[in-house]
Amino acid sequence: MLRLGIDVGGTNTDAVLIDGNRVLAATKAPTSPDVTTGIVTAIAGLKQAAEFDPAAVAAVMIGTTHFINALVEGDRLAPTAAIRFGLPATSALPPLVDWPDRLRTAIGEHSHLCHGGHEYDGSRIADFDEREFRAVLERAVEAGARSFALSSVFSPVNAEFEQRAAEIIAEELPGRPISLSHEIGRMGLLGRENATVINAALRELAEHVAAGLTRTVAEAGISAPLFLSQNDGTLMDVDYARRYPVATFASGPTNSMRGAAFLSRQADCAVMDVGGTTTDVGILQNGFPREASTDVSVAGVQTNFRMPDVLSVGIGGGSHVTHEGGPRVGPKSVGSRLTERALVFGGDQLTATDLAVAAGLADIGDRDRVAHLGKDLVRAGLDHIAERMAEVVDRMRISPDPVPVVAVGGGSILVPDRLAGASRVDRPEHYAVANAIGAAIAEVGGEVDRVFSVQPGRRDAVLDEARQEAVDRTVAAGARPGSVRVVDIEEVPLAYLPGNATRVRVKAVGELSLGDSLGELGDNDA
Amino acid sequence: MTRFGPDVLRGIAVEHIDALAAGAALLGSGGGGDVALGSHLLRRALAPAGRRVEVVPAAGLPPGALVVHAGVVGAPDVLAERLLAPGDLARAVEAVVGHLGGDLAAVGVIEIGGLNAVAAVLTAAHLGVPVVDGDLMGRAFPGINQTTAAVAGHPAAPLALVGPAADTVVVPAASPAMAEALIRSCAATMGGAASLAMYPLTAAVLAAHGVRSSLSACHALGTAYLTRDPAAGARALAARLGARLLFEGRVDEIRPPLAGSPGCTTLTSPDGGATARLDHQEEFLAVTLDGVTVAGTPDIIVALAVGSGAPLRADQLRPGHSLVLLGLPALHTWPPGTAALVGPPAFGLDLEAVTTP
Repeated sequence: MLRLGIDVGGTNTDAVLIDGNRVLAATKAPTSPDVTTGIVTAIAGLKQAAEFDPAAVAAVMIGTTHFINALVEGDRLAPTAAIRFGLPATSALPPLVDWPDRLRTAIGEHSHLCHGGHEYDGSRIADFDEREFRAVLERAVEAGARSFALSSVFSPVNAEFEQRAAEIIAEELPGRPISLSHEIGRMGLLGRENATVINAALRELAEHVAAGLTRTVAEAGISAPLFLSQNDGTLMDVDYARRYPVATFASGPTNSMRGAAFLSRQADCAVMDVGGTTTDVGILQNGFPREASTDVSVAGVQTNFRMPDVLSVGIGGGSHVTHEGGPRVGPKSVGSRLTERALVFGGDQLTATDLAVAAGLADIGDRDRVAHLGKDLVRAGLDHIAERMAEVVDRMRISPDPVPVVAVGGGSILVPDRLAGASRVDRPEHYAVANAIGAAIAEVGGEVDRVFSVQPGRRDAVLDEARQEAVDRTVAAGARPGSVRVVDIEEVPLAYLPGNATRVRVKAVGELSLGDSLGELGDNDA
Repeated sequence: MTRFGPDVLRGIAVEHIDALAAGAALLGSGGGGDVALGSHLLRRALAPAGRRVEVVPAAGLPPGALVVHAGVVGAPDVLAERLLAPGDLARAVEAVVGHLGGDLAAVGVIEIGGLNAVAAVLTAAHLGVPVVDGDLMGRAFPGINQTTAAVAGHPAAPLALVGPAADTVVVPAASPAMAEALIRSCAATMGGAASLAMYPLTAAVLAAHGVRSSLSACHALGTAYLTRDPAAGARALAARLGARLLFEGRVDEIRPPLAGSPGCTTLTSPDGGATARLDHQEEFLAVTLDGVTVAGTPDIIVALAVGSGAPLRADQLRPGHSLVLLGLPALHTWPPGTAALVGPPAFGLDLEAVTTP
């Protein structure tokens, strides 16, 4: 089965063609500001590298940092109304309370509170006040809100407030994007609400990007279904991604690590992904990234996603190199403009890549343009990079024993073969496109994280209900019914509460739903 | 009376919040709720320029001055959803003062570990009174009778609970066991959490029987933690915090607490040679290495995530996590004979005596 994996990073757009366990071709192209041009170039590069019939591609998987970048830059965000049901509780910390001013302004500062929400046992804090909600809605629309984020206290227990409000918005303002917190985040009101508001603010951009990606892939002659990578290393189909763009946020580091595991056939190692601007180090346990134990803040906003535990240092292939006193590398970077700005490409900015070329570690661009660099400067700069990288590995590993390090990413030429604290440094074949490979090898995933009241003798029934919900979500995200299996179940009783309130989290994965005709074509060996 | 004694905290303003919260999270011994919620609220309360809460030692107040202790009681998961309102905390204190008559001189901290360290400061800010530099537990405990005041024979009542819709319950008098039971059932009826004011004490009683300088110690500990060198190892961090390094290893298995009996987590050292057992209920209770108990409540046990260095609560542990376990001495020397109240037996743990290497 032919799969096309594409990773749209801040600097490069990578593409790989995979048949089963074999990588048939891999290419790299600069990321374009419009995203799609870079993808077109990358697919064209693939076609040059390996003859293949675009119609034989069974599925296209795309991992992108586009949405998280839009949030970080506070750019292309929709004016969003954050409406919470919780009064008379929760008023001390209204929606958007802890957001950075810049982002709050970027989405329009529409923060509203209504009566409602539930207690942990499913009883109502206050009844739904339709007149109050309609008045809030009217004010938000008058103030310019176009996307709506609805949250409600304990909506993972009972979502009726969010659902009723969504019905009213759908009836008053047909077609406007609505994001519901119980579908997006976990327990913990502020983190779940923040994730929902971020999702809502990205909905217009998601619509635009999804349409662009679909068109681009079709224009390349590929009629296969299109999937996007999610945070946990699973996939969702493009229509699902239109509604849940926030689920792509951590897909970059996850794909990179899973791709590296696939390439290096190592299940337990440190993965060092050296990009254009940063080096991200994560730990792989049994082939999956170690998850961070604490909440993750994204662009200064606290969310309660479970993200891979990744430590970053501001060193990448495009990092500026200066030398006043001692060498300094990063955190400033030429980013996506490496092929214009770096010395070896005729630019005027000394970058980490120039050092690597001058030292003979890499042969890219025009070597003569860095011939003038002093040997000592090159050596000192590269040593400094190696030291900073070793520090990060040292902080991530659990054992005092050296760990295998798998170096991936376009800038991994900067990782020395002998790195302090590493038992070995692997550079698997096709290492430069590990992200795209991570995207290409993934399955479709779905998850449920809710609170159930587990009455005596009802535990099995409750777990079955949660399992079914996770399976349904996985199918909704694009998995083939019948192929979905539950991979993780977690049950945690809520402390200090009577009534056996238990938080149940179920994660399921399934094979891509590709349709029969495509499945047959997938057997072609290109 | 602590290592951090010399740095006396005289007032709390916005710039003190991060260190106070970091110290409270460490002193929570893996429990005490989510300090971040309190920090958010306190940051908002102290945001107007120049606002600060005065911090006074109990001995610095007139002997007859009234101090009421304030905090929240209930399930952390409920607070994470329904949040916390400073107005409710203030209302609970006012209900106790209203019942007793007289004037409130200062708010006291029930427990210096976790959210309640910050909640008391928040209450004081809301009421415009000082907060006492001390507390009643020297860490976090789940029971309202696990206090130095209770050991000295002072009851928790008169006490008051307030729910989010301003529902108020005042208990004028209660035996220790009944006070605990009433508070739990009231909090459950109020949706699983409530604002609580209790232990109205005179400054003289507090000066004699309270844990002293807890807020100062908490702030100093938090400052030491926040200004650590992230690249330095566990041993250096332990030394910096005045803690003992108990164990480094990975979580193998977690048995959650069930129906009042503690749960336990098993860890294995990186080389696979040593194992540790970490007993926990809402808080971490004891650490036992290859059969030898090296730390036990009321010692404070801290679990730090390797990598981020963040202190983890007992409910945040997951299999596969790499942890550093530290032991901090309790802020209070409990008198002999209190093991049944605050030691491992209070939690149903039958352990050999704690060995301090």
